[in-house]
Amino acid sequence: MLSLTSEIPTPFHRVPAGAKLALLAAASVAIFAIPSPALMALPVILAALLYLACGLRFARQGLRALRPLWPFLLLLTVWHGFTQDWGNGMLLGGRLLSTVALANLVTMTTRLEAMIAVMARLLAPLRVFGVKPGRIAFAIGLVLRLTPTLLDRGRQLGLAWRARARRRRPGWQIVLPLCLTALDDADHIADAVKARGGIPD
Amino acid sequence: MRGTDTPAIAIRGLTCRLGDREVLTGLDLVLQERRIGILGRNGSGKSTLARAMAGLIDTIEGSITIGGDDIRKNRKAALRAVGILFQNPEHQIIFPTGLEEVRFGLAQMGHSKAEATRLAREALARFGRASWAERSTAALSQGQKHLLCVISLLAMEPAVLILDEPFSGLDIPTERALRRVLEDYPGTLVQITHDPQVIAGYDRALWIDDGRVRGDGPPGAVIPDYLAAMTAEGTDAFADL
Repeated sequence: MLSLTSEIPTPFHRVPAGAKLALLAAASVAIFAIPSPALMALPVILAALLYLACGLRFARQGLRALRPLWPFLLLLTVWHGFTQDWGNGMLLGGRLLSTVALANLVTMTTRLEAMIAVMARLLAPLRVFGVKPGRIAFAIGLVLRLTPTLLDRGRQLGLAWRARARRRRPGWQIVLPLCLTALDDADHIADAVKARGGIPD
Repeated sequence: MRGTDTPAIAIRGLTCRLGDREVLTGLDLVLQERRIGILGRNGSGKSTLARAMAGLIDTIEGSITIGGDDIRKNRKAALRAVGILFQNPEHQIIFPTGLEEVRFGLAQMGHSKAEATRLAREALARFGRASWAERSTAALSQGQKHLLCVISLLAMEPAVLILDEPFSGLDIPTERALRRVLEDYPGTLVQITHDPQVIAGYDRALWIDDGRVRGDGPPGAVIPDYLAAMTAEGTDAFADL
């Protein structure tokens, strides 16, 4: 499946998804229990070492994956600089950085399929309440498959608009046709699913 | 392929309404030839017939059986009996990667996940496309998407393969290559088309017009009538659009 999984092979790719997720959960609890800013350096350094152990190229990829975090870290710096409460700032910043970095590490080294399999196992007890884990996994696959298609439809409608309009940017008028084509696509996919035996449980 | 004998497609009293329009009107047909072409203009009902034969339309009157199995009621048997290739691969591909796309139908047929994975990889490898297993289906070209749909279907080895004008919009070499793959298929082919050339070498041709059978017989007999009618209707084709 398409995902954020890294193509660069690392030793962590071979660790079972369930074990990695359990370790991640334990590490997160431990990190939240760290009371002092100085000790918070520990998980940050540990995370950095884990990335570096997989090679520089992988570490750089990991750093890129952390990019969405910078605005939050900046906000923390500004706020705690303003309140002169640097200790708490370091604590929160380190907590955020190390947990997200570790979670990313699990994401980057686990195939989405394995992740979904773990989820299906965890959801299995809910079968008694009528939840069908296979369907949830199927739905995740459909979302991944159809999101690019939907974006493409939007682009096509935008082009069709531009070809006959004076204003370059398409207006709100394309929203309804976009919804209709999405529904039409859904009908066709439903046929395709039916032609091959329906939605699995 | 299970068995070499050709299963009969038996259609009895097939009527299909979409909204208040009657798209197919009381069709009675027994098809047992290995290569069957269904001709008709846009809107003649031929695509609806294809979808009905694949068991995809619930709201039909009459019955359709393939090899004796009611393909609407017995979906599990239907998976072995019939597969359909849609006009647009975008409408057929359900999964984000090649392996999952090919594996889905196999798993639905009752193969275990490991076995379905093995068969799917084999099917991709048979067409020299083993590397598509992990490829994103969204990133495939139009011709590649068509091929992936063909591989997914052939992997399931249905007794009857319905092709609903599958290759419109492909360049000539790609279309020919895909057609060659399908023409070699040992099972029954039902080809829906508006282009008589495609089915000239087939065993039987059906001409559907306005939801009814207007011609039925060897292509050599049906195609000239069809072409004559198309030429005659061509003068005011917009009249009934």
